[in-house]
Order: sequence, then C-alpha cells, then structure tokens
Amino acid sequence: MPRPNITVEQFYTDHSAKLDLKLLGGAIGLKHIIREPTVNRPGLALAGHTKYFARHRLQVMGHAEVTFLKALPREERVKRYELIFGYRLPCIVFCRDLAPDRECLRIAERKNIPVFQSSLITMKFINLATLALEQLFAPRGSEMGSMVDIHGVGVLIRGDSGIGKSESILALIERGYSLVADDMTRVTLVDGREVVGTSSDLTRNHMEIRGIGIVNVAAMFGAKSIRSEKRIDLIVTLKAWDEVKDVDRLGMEEEHQEILGIRIPHMTIPVRPGRDLARLIEVAALHAKLRRSGLNPARELNERLMAQMAAAPRGL
Amino acid sequence: MSAAKDNTSSGVITRELVVGNKVGIHARPAAMFVKIASRYSCDIFLEKDGEKINGKSIMGLLMLAAGPGSKLTLEATGKDAAQATAEIEDLFHRKFDEE
Repeated sequence: MPRPNITVEQFYTDHSAKLDLKLLGGAIGLKHIIREPTVNRPGLALAGHTKYFARHRLQVMGHAEVTFLKALPREERVKRYELIFGYRLPCIVFCRDLAPDRECLRIAERKNIPVFQSSLITMKFINLATLALEQLFAPRGSEMGSMVDIHGVGVLIRGDSGIGKSESILALIERGYSLVADDMTRVTLVDGREVVGTSSDLTRNHMEIRGIGIVNVAAMFGAKSIRSEKRIDLIVTLKAWDEVKDVDRLGMEEEHQEILGIRIPHMTIPVRPGRDLARLIEVAALHAKLRRSGLNPARELNERLMAQMAAAPRGL
Repeated sequence: MSAAKDNTSSGVITRELVVGNKVGIHARPAAMFVKIASRYSCDIFLEKDGEKINGKSIMGLLMLAAGPGSKLTLEATGKDAAQATAEIEDLFHRKFDEE
C-alpha cells in the first residue's frame, strides 16, 4: 500500500487541539510534506553539527535549544537560523509557550518554514506528537461491511446486499451492542499489529434500512448504541444457504482473512429464512473471544473422544 | 466389509459397516460423514450397540465413539437413499482417507 503524503497542514488541522498548536508564521510552508513520522530536537544542528541532521522530521524546540540560542550574540544566532532553515524542514514547534525571537520568525518566513507554538512541556509534546504522527502515517483503507462491537469483540459483518445485514445489526443494537460503522468500515493499521475499524466522520451514527431510509442510530437507541472505533477481532460473512458449499461443521481449524496484511479470524454463516442471524453473530463473537483465550471446544471434545476410543477394546 | 440387505418394499436400505481406520470415527471422519449425509434428502440413521443417531448430526456421530473395528448399522430411507448409501459405503471402504 502506498504511503499517504502527510502535509504539515494535515498534521496541524487534525491535531492542533490536542497538541495545543498555534501557527506563528511561515504559513506558505504548510503544504510541506512530513517525510518521517517522528520528531527531532535540533540542538546539535544549532550547535553547528549538521553532518547528520534529521531534517525530514518535525523539529521540536525546548528549553535546551532556546537557552542555547539566547546565549549567542545576535549575528551568530542569525547564522545558525540561516544554516538550519536552509534545509527544507517540514516545520518547527516551540514548546512550553517559548517565544521564538524576531530573527527566527523573519528567517523562517523567508524560507517558508511554518513556526508553531505549543503550551505543552517538551517531553509531553514529543510523546503526543509521535503518537499523532504514527496515526497519520498508519496504513489505512476501506472494507465493505458493517461493524459492531459485541461484548468487546469487534465484528466486521460482510455479505451481499439484501442478505439481512442491516436487520441483524439492528437486532444486535437492540440487544445492547454498539454500532461502529454501517456498510463501509474505515480501517487503520495500529502499531503494525492490529486493525482498527471506524466509520467516516460524515456517516457516523447513521445507517440505512431499506424501506425506511437513513436513520440516526444514536438518537433512536441512545449513546451506548454507538462506538466510534474498535479493533477488528472477527470477520463474519453472511452467505446464502445454497452458496455455502462446504459448511464447517466442526470449527476445529481457524479460518482467516487478511486486512491491511493482518490475519483476522473469519467465519461463514449460512443464511436461510428463519435463522436468527443476530443471535448467530452474537455466538460467533463469544466463540471467537473464547478461542482467543486459547479454548478450542471442537479440539477438546475430539481429544476426549479419541482417548475414549483408544481405551475401549477393539471392535466395541 | 458390508452386508447388503435391501428392503425395497418399505424403502429402507440397510448396511452393516465396520470402522476400518486406526483411530476410529473422530472429529474429522465424523465431519466427512455428516457432510455427505447432509447433501441427500433421505433420512440417514446410524446405529451402534442399540444406540441410534441421526447421520446428519455431528454431535450424534461423536457421541457414538465408534472406535476401530466397531460395527455400525446404516439405515437410509428416501428417494436418494441408494446413492447416499453408496457414497457412505465408499467412505468406509476408503477408511475416511486415513490409515
């Protein structure tokens, strides 16, 4: 999957509230692309060591940098600014509400490098900014299917239209479970090991029911009927009875489907009139939960059976 | 391996089957049996030591705990009973594709 281009502007609009960012200057540079999803403290570069300078990263100025710069005579300071702003830095952030001096702002403006200020203490800012960048850089995509949180098990429900997805989701919501996304689930790879599903901001809380139209689930069933994001633990595919050629009667082996390169347990539930789909999906979720904790009922039963058959005299 | 006893007047086909694989009817062979049985519309029953179970039920098959060498009676009733019986007999002959 191609890595998305993350601009400084995107970082700023998505995370300015959480990181308490204020733009002080260099707005033209907001279109700069952040090439590495992490931060750098430019202390060594300001001191003159630019042989190795992580210039593609967001640059964070803390007490150390600002105190060092303050101790320099004005013309020396200007030289240092010229030196590091000469690189196409994505942007600079002054933490602890430290104010950049006039020379800094002037040169940054000229070189089109955005300068921000944050009230957070430097370490706190670095932690939060790293997480924010990781989130922005995470591989993402969209998956066909609705998503529901059942007792802490995130279930992505797939199936051709008209198979009864919406009805079963409504029934699950009525049982007290929460809707994460209807029909289309946005997926993000988190920490490279789990896939988190969410809905698009626009359609959150809403779902479409044929014959009725678009309903607001949160307004109808209350706040608990909605969950904004959840890790996907199980994929359930609803399939017409005749189309399922090989129904798994044992469930001894775990089947998987891949999303963003992560293997996620998958079950196919054959659908025919009269089957309570919501109930089946609920049991599938609980089953997946138990299996995740290491319990495999089919295998256990089989082991007991084999032991019994081995103990019995031959031919009995 | 099996003794044919077709009672066509009542439409019941009966077969004596012997479990030929080393381990007996554990989960995998049971699933194979049930899958075949479920494809047919006829009723299929399996009996062992006086205990009779539905051949389309995996739990029933497991409950029989039919170890190696055990003798089972297959009973199929319905319009496709002959094909079903033939396919199940073949499964026993093949020892469920096991040793």
